[in-house]
Amino acid sequence: MNHTLRNPAVYLLFVLPTFALYALFFLYPVVTSVYYGFTDWNGLESPRFVGLGNFASAFRDGLFWVSVKNNLIFILFSVFVQIPLIVLFALLISRVKRLKGFYKTTVFMPSILSTSIIGILWGFMYHPSIGLFNHLLGFFGIEPIYWLADTRWALLSILIANAWQWMGFYIVLVLAAILSIPKEIDEAAEIDGASGLKRAVRMTLPLIRPVVSVIVMLSIAGAMRVVDIVLVMTGGGPAGATEVMASYMVNKAIKYGEYGYGTALSLLIFAIALALTALYQIAFVRNQERIEF
Amino acid sequence: MPKAVSRSLSHAVLMLYVAFILFPIVFVVFSSLKETNADIVAHPFGLPVQLAFDNYAEAWKKAKINVYFFNSAYLSVTAAVSAVLLAAATSYALARMRFARASRWLYQTILIGMLIPGNVLFISQFILIHKLGMYDTHWSLYLPYTAGALPLSVLLIAAFMQSLPKEMEEAGIVDGLGAFGLFWRIALPLTLPSLVTVFILNLMGNWNEYLLANFFISKDALKTLPTGMVGFRDAFQTNYPLVFTGVVISIAPILVLYAFLQRTIIEGLTAGSLKG
Repeated sequence: MNHTLRNPAVYLLFVLPTFALYALFFLYPVVTSVYYGFTDWNGLESPRFVGLGNFASAFRDGLFWVSVKNNLIFILFSVFVQIPLIVLFALLISRVKRLKGFYKTTVFMPSILSTSIIGILWGFMYHPSIGLFNHLLGFFGIEPIYWLADTRWALLSILIANAWQWMGFYIVLVLAAILSIPKEIDEAAEIDGASGLKRAVRMTLPLIRPVVSVIVMLSIAGAMRVVDIVLVMTGGGPAGATEVMASYMVNKAIKYGEYGYGTALSLLIFAIALALTALYQIAFVRNQERIEF
Repeated sequence: MPKAVSRSLSHAVLMLYVAFILFPIVFVVFSSLKETNADIVAHPFGLPVQLAFDNYAEAWKKAKINVYFFNSAYLSVTAAVSAVLLAAATSYALARMRFARASRWLYQTILIGMLIPGNVLFISQFILIHKLGMYDTHWSLYLPYTAGALPLSVLLIAAFMQSLPKEMEEAGIVDGLGAFGLFWRIALPLTLPSLVTVFILNLMGNWNEYLLANFFISKDALKTLPTGMVGFRDAFQTNYPLVFTGVVISIAPILVLYAFLQRTIIEGLTAGSLKG
């Protein structure tokens, strides 16, 4: 037996294809990203080394900071608007006896659709003349709003479409956690006279803290990654109002041919994502300690 | 509050949310069956008066949905199968073969890939694809899709490979199986449920992928469903019923599949996020 699982040739055969693909599409691009990030390159001529020049221009690039701000709005919206709703809906589904499966299947459904199709679909929901929202407004005698073409409304419109797509996915995660809580705990609390609301707040919520913390982290990661829905619905417009970091980076590189600058932006995005993860870890660890006291 | 009241209140709130979820879908199906823009504008939410099924024939022809559909289907499936097989072989070697130091090192290196958010490497991959001469070929999607799925797939499958009982392996060796036989006859069948989960996760990811598909492919005949449909919308922006029909045709198969396999699909899609 020793010799069967110790054959280096077989080991290499099993490991090498994976590692080769991984090296080609992950490790090599990481190395070239770091290199291009410090160059001025239009993709045609040979790259010219400019030191920290790209990063210096990024800090002065007002439009880039608008996109950073929009990503932060995505994060805040998902953490403070979506997550409370997600937990509420998961709690409600866990408490009803009938139609549980129907609710679960239905709310999860949008997360199997492709983001670009959802972008098309919601683009029509916001359509100035045939869309749902303007019809509702018309019902109350309010003038139609050009949702996706108005700088005041465009970002909110995308946030809602994005929430429509992803909330169900997280609801199912939280629901699974709630349903895995032993029934006896709930029954004991009920016998002790705790009301449904009290049981939900005092008992279920603390018990699902770990999964809530996971979905907070997933939402932050998701909000940092968001790009498809922006490209499909507005392309970053009007006037940069919905531009996110990733769409700005892609546009800079591919539309304007500023590959060096675009890559520098991608390094900044990576740095910001790492910083946010670290910050969240620190905040969360401190919170946990507070609970222990 | 009496139980019955609180329960019906729960149902009322949930139904409201269900309506919010279903509304866009119902709207698009109704609109796809309407004759003209004027019908939609006049009664956006009414039932279609005359069912305009000819929209479907027209959209199918004009949007080349069959082409996009085929491209999406075969790219998603081949890339997902490749990733699962490669990741399973690698996980097997890492978890079961006796090269502990090399395995630990490889495993850590591959997991680093999960720390990097997908879009960050986009420009470098774009340049790489050009250098490899793969721009505007299906290789430019097949290879990144396969490679992109590897870190999470290895993470998930390796956990299962690790937990395989040693006795099975020993019995296999006694019966004269080599390393390949052990992998193919024992490890793969025993981890099949987890392989299916990972396959679904990869498949859905590939099926819905937009960014690479949009920038690595420009020939219409090579486009996948997500980018093809956006192109279709932009080309026929003013013909609402036709665009709606295209949307319905492109989501219908997924919804049918979901209706039959919802449990497996939900499990598959949520599996990655809690462990990852």
